[in-house]
Amino acid sequence: MLERVIQTDGLTKHYGEFHAVNALNCRVRAERITGFLGRNGAGKSSTIKMLLGMIRPTSGSGTVLGYRIDDPKQSIEIRRRIAYVGEDKGLYGYMTVGQLIWFTRSFYSDWQPDVEKRLLAEYRLPLGRKVKALSKGMRTKLALLLALSRKPALLILDEPTEGLDPVSIEELLQTLVMAPMQGTTVFFSSHQLSEVERVADDILMIDRGVAVLDMPLEQIRENYRRVSFGFDHPVPTLPQLDGMERVRIEGRQVSVLASRNAEAIAAMAHQVGAATVDVASISLREIFLETVQDQNKRDQEAHWEQTHALV
Amino acid sequence: MLWYKSWREIRVVALGGVAAMAVACVMIVWFEQAMRSNQEIPLSYVAYLWKSVYNSIGRDMFLFLCVILGGGGLLQEKAKGTAGFTLSLPVSRGQIVFWRAVMGFVGVVAIALTPAIVLPLVSPYLKEAYPLSQALGFSLLWMGCGTVFYAFTFLLAHVLEGEYTAILVTIPSMMLYGVLNSLPWFEHFPMLNIFHLVNGEDMPFFDEGAHLLSGPLPWLPMLMLLMIACALVFASSRRMRLRDF
Repeated sequence: MLERVIQTDGLTKHYGEFHAVNALNCRVRAERITGFLGRNGAGKSSTIKMLLGMIRPTSGSGTVLGYRIDDPKQSIEIRRRIAYVGEDKGLYGYMTVGQLIWFTRSFYSDWQPDVEKRLLAEYRLPLGRKVKALSKGMRTKLALLLALSRKPALLILDEPTEGLDPVSIEELLQTLVMAPMQGTTVFFSSHQLSEVERVADDILMIDRGVAVLDMPLEQIRENYRRVSFGFDHPVPTLPQLDGMERVRIEGRQVSVLASRNAEAIAAMAHQVGAATVDVASISLREIFLETVQDQNKRDQEAHWEQTHALV
Repeated sequence: MLWYKSWREIRVVALGGVAAMAVACVMIVWFEQAMRSNQEIPLSYVAYLWKSVYNSIGRDMFLFLCVILGGGGLLQEKAKGTAGFTLSLPVSRGQIVFWRAVMGFVGVVAIALTPAIVLPLVSPYLKEAYPLSQALGFSLLWMGCGTVFYAFTFLLAHVLEGEYTAILVTIPSMMLYGVLNSLPWFEHFPMLNIFHLVNGEDMPFFDEGAHLLSGPLPWLPMLMLLMIACALVFASSRRMRLRDF
C-alpha cells in the first residue's frame, strides 16, 4: 500500500499573470482524513483540478495513488480509483436521479448497491425526479451519494457540506470518519473549520497557492499555543525565537502565535520584564485566521490601490 | 455509457427535429393542391415537392437543425456547470468528444431520413406518388452536406465559450458562405456550393425539367465532405485535450 496517496513537488498553475498555485509541495497520507484549508482564491480548487487532470500544471509534478497527474492516460486511472464531489455540484439537470445513478454506476467496478440503497433512503432522494428540479441541498446529497456509493481508494471532496442541513452534515461527517477504516483516504476542502477540526487527522493549509501549514492535527494541538504577555512599561524589542510565527503588539500587550517552543517564548517574556505571561491552547480557526489575515489585509490594500489607480 | 449522456443531450433537438420535419412534410403534401394552384407555371407533384421540401422549407429547417445539433460539447457543459462532473469520469476527453459527435451525427441522419419516410408514405393518401429511391437519394445528399455544417458548428462549440455562441456564429458564417458562392470564381467549381449540392440544383446528377435525381450521386464530393467533417471533429477533440476547465 502507498504511504502517500497524493504527492506534489513544486506544483504550479498560472493563469496569465495570476498565480493560482505557486510551487506547492504537499503529501497526503494514506487512510487518513486531510482537511484542505485556505481562503477563497487561495488555490484549493485549482490544486484539486490539477490532481484530477482537469487543468494542466504550468510546472512541477504530482502523483495521485502513484499515477502521474500530467499524463492523460494515467489521469484516467486516477479518476477510476477516486471519488470526487466538486465545489459546484453540477450534475446533469436533464436526467432523473435514477438515471444519473445508473449512468454513473456504469463507469465504476467498485460500486456498492447496498450503500446506494442506504444513502437513497437516508437522503430521501426521489428516483424519478429530474436533477434540475432538486434543491441545492438535495443536489449536494445526490453528488455525495454518487461518490460515497463506491469504495474508492481516495475520496476528494470540495466544500462537501455546503448547502446541507445540520442533520445531513452530521451524517456526512460520521461517514467521513468511518472511511479510513474501510481503506479510503479522505481529502476535503472546507471553510467550516469546526467541522474540519472534528474529523481531520491532518491539516494542509494553503495561501496564495503556497502551503503554509502541513501537519497532523494532533501535532498542531500539541505544539501550537498563544503566548500573551503584558508590560508595565512600553514593549521592549523582542528577540525572534524559534517557533514565533506571528507577533502582534497592541499598546503594552503582546500576543505571539507559537508553532512550537511555547515554554521558551514564555521564559523570554519573563526575561524581558513582562508583568503577566499566559500560555493558552489555540483553535484551528485562530491558527487559520492568524496565518492568512495579514496576507488578506495586504491583498485588500493592493486591490484597493489597483482599483483607485484605474479610476 | 457516454453515448447515453450524449443522446440525452441531443434528444430534444433530434426528436423535436424529426417531428417538426415530419409535420412540415405532411403539411406540404396535404396542402399540395392549394399550393400548386397558386403557381403561375403549373407544377408536377414531384416538382412541387422538390421546390417545397428540398429547395426551401425542408432544406432550411434541416440545415438549421444540423447547426443546433452541433452546438454542444464540453464548453457548453462548462457554461452550464456540469463539465466538472463529466471530466471526473474515468474516460478520456477524446472519448467524450467522440460520443457527442457520433450522437449528433445520428441526429443529423434521423432528421435527413424523415422526408424519405414521410413523403412516399403520405403521398398515396392524396392519390399521388413519390419514388422512395428519389427520397432516399435526397436524404443521402442532405446527410453529406448537413454533416459539414454540423461539424463546423461542433468545432466552433469547442473553441468558443458560451452556451449558444457557436450557433450564433455559424448562422452568419453560412450566410457569408452563400454570398461567396455567388462570386464568379466559384462558378468554376459547382461542387463547392453545398447549398446546391444538397438538393441537386444546377448539378449534373439532377434533371431540372423532371426535378428528379437522374444520374449517380456525387459520391466523391460526398466522401470529401465526410472527411472534412471528420477532420473538424478531430480538431475539436485536439482542442479539448489541451483545454483547462
